[in-house]
Amino acid sequence: MATIAASSSLKPVKSESALRAAFSIVPGVFLLAAIGYAGKFLERFLNTYAKAHHWVFPNIEYVLWAILIGLAIGNTVGLPKVFQAGVATYEFWLKLGIVLLGARFVLADVLKLGGISLALVVIEITLSLALMTLLGRLFKLKPKLTSLLAIGSSVCGVSAIIAAKGAIDAEDEDVSFAIAAILALGALALFTFPAIAHALHMNDVSYGLWAGLGVDNTAEATAAGALYSDAAGKVAVLAKTARNAMIGFVVLAYAIYWAGRGQAEAVTNKAAFLWKKFPKFILGFLLMSLLVGFHAFSKGQIASLGNLSKWAFLLTFAGVGLRTNFRDISKQGLRPFVVGALGEILIACLTLGLVIGANRIWGL
Amino acid sequence: MSSKTSASTSAGKPSLLSLDTWAVIVALALALAVKFDILKNVPW
Repeated sequence: MATIAASSSLKPVKSESALRAAFSIVPGVFLLAAIGYAGKFLERFLNTYAKAHHWVFPNIEYVLWAILIGLAIGNTVGLPKVFQAGVATYEFWLKLGIVLLGARFVLADVLKLGGISLALVVIEITLSLALMTLLGRLFKLKPKLTSLLAIGSSVCGVSAIIAAKGAIDAEDEDVSFAIAAILALGALALFTFPAIAHALHMNDVSYGLWAGLGVDNTAEATAAGALYSDAAGKVAVLAKTARNAMIGFVVLAYAIYWAGRGQAEAVTNKAAFLWKKFPKFILGFLLMSLLVGFHAFSKGQIASLGNLSKWAFLLTFAGVGLRTNFRDISKQGLRPFVVGALGEILIACLTLGLVIGANRIWGL
Repeated sequence: MSSKTSASTSAGKPSLLSLDTWAVIVALALALAVKFDILKNVPW
């Protein structure tokens, strides 16, 4: 009797908490939308104003405005609790944007650029892992922190670090060190990558590939690409997606390594492990591109899907600024940051060399 | 006490679908809405 009463009381509690969770994200999502739209408004307003007054004013993209407004709010007044749950949805908007972006790729482009990206990704991951491991040993970082930094900088930033956390049984402190270093370096890349590319007069495809290969976190890689041009943003997402696809293999290799040393649980079913760690949104991206390849949508409908993807990214860019807190990052200590920064500079040079080489071979 | 426990249990439970799967489902729903002209000429 008591069991029946308990189970019947579970339903309303469950639906009530689900409803509360759904409502709790509303203020934060509105904040993301407001900041993103403010960035879009500022870009248009400043351009029109400068033109009307015959000013020479650089075109600052909405992406940068959205990030800067987010950074200003997050690092001055801070983010009130009521917005936090909604702001945390920025990763959902990022993945939604990527899946929808699949509609703007012809399958042949995905295969060609994705193939080139995959070849470059394999080289990039191998060299990055070796480099970060070497730097970690040189600077006497804890071995598991070195592993996390190597995984984060070679594959896909925060998601890869979180995926690796359980697999290699890393300590929470090491995880937050590695995430802080990757996020700080991602924020720096937003400003340095486009500036270097402009100085080198890189074309959209080359730059997009470089941003996708060189910037670690998917949100920052997407933003760094979009800061250069719309076309570069598309390519950056494709290259980053190819890099994300490798997450399972890299984490599995580290899990096996640490299990072999008796410091992590052994992996019994490798195929199940790989599937669990595989980012499923990549399949959605490919499916969307496939649907467009089979002419499931008209030209106008493809444009609408592309615009929906841009709106989703707009919320992501606002989230990138809001969740980057320089005070929190500075608390994490200097050594992991120095190792990360050195590694990132070397990886950026290396990937730039790879892209320039690929451009010569395949004429991107 | 019991309601507190059941609420915390349900909150602690991992979601049935991952964030990736939700993103794919919502994207496909939007694609269907565009395909069947429920969402038309989305501006930018």
